[in-house]
Amino acid sequence: MVTESRPATATPELLAYVDDLRVDADRMDGYAQRLRGAAETLGHCAEAPEWSGATLERQATACVTAAVQLRAAAAALLSHATE
Amino acid sequence: MAAHRRASGPPAEEMLRECARDVVAVAEGIREVSARTSSVLFAPALTGSARRRPRTGLAARWALLRTLTNKQGLGGSAIVAPDGVGHLLGAAGEALGRESLAALVAVTSLRLRIAAVLLDHPECGHDPGMRRLTGAVTAGHDPEAVRALRALFKDQGAQRSLSALAPILSELLTIQGLLDEDPLSDETAWALAAGPVRGFDASRLPVPDRGEGGAQAVELSAREAGSLATEGSFLGFLRNIDALAGDGRVLVQDVRGPDGVLRYVVQAPGAAPGRPRDGSPQDFAGAWRNLFLADSPYTRSILLAIRDHGIPRGADLALVGHGEGGIALLNLAQDDEFCRAYRVTHVVAVGAQVDDRRPADPRTWVAGITDRHDIVPVPEGPGAPHPNRYRVDYTGPTREFPLCHLLRVYIDHLETVVPEARADVDRALARYHGPVERTRVYRLRDRGRPPEGYPFLAVPTTSLATSAGPVDMPVRYYDSSAAHLCFPVDADVARSLLPDVAWLVPTRLGRRALAVLSLYEHRCTTIGPYTELGLSVLVDDLWRPHAYDLAADLLRRADLRRTGRYVVALAVATEEARAVAEEVWAQPAVRGSADIDLQGRELRLHAPELGVSVEGRPGPGARCPEADWVFYGRRGESVVRTLVRAHGRPRIHARPRLRLRVDGAHGPLARHLQVLELDTVRPGFVLSSPRFVAHRSAGAVLPR
Repeated sequence: MVTESRPATATPELLAYVDDLRVDADRMDGYAQRLRGAAETLGHCAEAPEWSGATLERQATACVTAAVQLRAAAAALLSHATE
Repeated sequence: MAAHRRASGPPAEEMLRECARDVVAVAEGIREVSARTSSVLFAPALTGSARRRPRTGLAARWALLRTLTNKQGLGGSAIVAPDGVGHLLGAAGEALGRESLAALVAVTSLRLRIAAVLLDHPECGHDPGMRRLTGAVTAGHDPEAVRALRALFKDQGAQRSLSALAPILSELLTIQGLLDEDPLSDETAWALAAGPVRGFDASRLPVPDRGEGGAQAVELSAREAGSLATEGSFLGFLRNIDALAGDGRVLVQDVRGPDGVLRYVVQAPGAAPGRPRDGSPQDFAGAWRNLFLADSPYTRSILLAIRDHGIPRGADLALVGHGEGGIALLNLAQDDEFCRAYRVTHVVAVGAQVDDRRPADPRTWVAGITDRHDIVPVPEGPGAPHPNRYRVDYTGPTREFPLCHLLRVYIDHLETVVPEARADVDRALARYHGPVERTRVYRLRDRGRPPEGYPFLAVPTTSLATSAGPVDMPVRYYDSSAAHLCFPVDADVARSLLPDVAWLVPTRLGRRALAVLSLYEHRCTTIGPYTELGLSVLVDDLWRPHAYDLAADLLRRADLRRTGRYVVALAVATEEARAVAEEVWAQPAVRGSADIDLQGRELRLHAPELGVSVEGRPGPGARCPEADWVFYGRRGESVVRTLVRAHGRPRIHARPRLRLRVDGAHGPLARHLQVLELDTVRPGFVLSSPRFVAHRSAGAVLPR
């Protein structure tokens, strides 16, 4: 977890948003893991639909991308809040 | 190897369901992340500070907007805002076909759930609703699937077939809510996905309840009155319900108990799959609504019937119901005011789960009897143990749905498979064992909406006895598809298929006669859903045939027509349909099921047990007038004339690319098709009707 020094002049409300965005980014990483877990579980099941593994993997990747972008947005917001 | 690995784990369908649940929970989480990120983007604090410090403020807002609209991330329409610019941006994303990640993940969950249902109940794959749904969710890539689903939910005609998809109703509502623009619906559907019964605000279900319940006392026919139980017993009450099932009636009986006290039994049927739902919620959200609301139109109507019956306050009351009827009665037993007015001693629900349903009066004894194969919409998880709860969840011999949901099948199982359950419930209902002193039947009305099929199918009816039980005439078809393959054939060969009487002569089109192979898929009728394959020959007026009768008849109303189609062979999927065709319409019918799909671009019929298959495209078509038909059949020395009135959007296809295949002689239909050599030629033209309503009158016996 990255921590930054925050000047006392920063808007508390905006800083709270920064924290929320970072927590959500971590959540998105968690969702990616859960989707990959589901894909792995279904990979062991002969009757699982063929498309399921690739689809869940694609959506897990989208979750990771969203997590990266949420962190970037949090960084941009922090820089605005502390300007 | 995979099979070996699975042998030690849970069954595949359970694994798929488990994954589907996990995936929908992830979808819900993603949607919440989208909602929170949207609220940051449009937060007044950020808007205000961005005006003051535009350089960094705009950069921050741009980063948030990119997060919400990136196709590779949260998706094009991930902006969740009830109004204003945010709502417009979200809608614009959807319009551009950039579906949100939450929607895509939710659809994946639905697809997994469908796969689980089809694994467990492969027969559901033939269900029209499941077919349409599967077609939608497997349409191309994920965004196309979301768009196809959105279109499906907006299609009013699809509502009926979707309502039959009990096992995946909760998922359908979730997805519908997600695809709905109304954020309130969205919230509600997500709440439903997270936990349908506990802590759920049912008043915010996606489809608003506009129905007003109503109940009107009606007379029973002499035959019906004779079939009702005159002594109180559990099976007697269930048989009463079975006798009334399907046309929106409930029964209230006054029973004098062994202690001389007069008590009351309310008996409520559920909706029969594939039959019109008169007076009960008709859309698929409505079916679920009944699960959650003590104030659903069905429950309100039953309450009105009880009030009309004049049951004194404080009287003992037992409530016995099947399927949705059972759920409606459970809703009633949860109503505080109702339980203050009457002493609800027992609630018995067959084919409906009673888990976690707490009656307002804790002394009420609640019993639920379900067949594990019956895929009624139920919340997951076991119920809490309770001295006043009785639950039997047995495995019946009938696996096929909807057969395993039929009350008559449950009655049979209570006699043969789980007689101890019948004995236990009868023991509990001992106070209701005694002579029935009064029986009244109430027809439930949903005044908020017209009857199903109105106005075309709002016709007077009469009951006729058949070997398969009484049947209302005319038979009404609420949701059917048809394709009529018209073949020019040799007139002499066609004549050889008709009865050996001088006045039945094939209509000539030049030198040829016309044989018609009709394929029907009846999804909802008053005699239940069934498929129908009929071979007929166009015949002249029975008395005064003229050369131009056929041309003149095309300009006449159906009831004035003189030509008609003589049915030479018919195959129908159910015994009830066979009995009606044989005994009422005098058509030579045999039992034979078929897998028919007439709603897509390709027409497909597969009937291995009849030895007949049809496949191909009807080709480009043009709208044509409704081809109402007159059918002729023969009984003894008379001709029977049956009038069919239809209403749909028929099309005529002049250059069909269809091929009929007959695989060996499998009965009269295949034999006649071979005699006419229809398997060697393509039809001259095809009339198709992907969806229509119709009614067929009782046959009129003509002295010919």
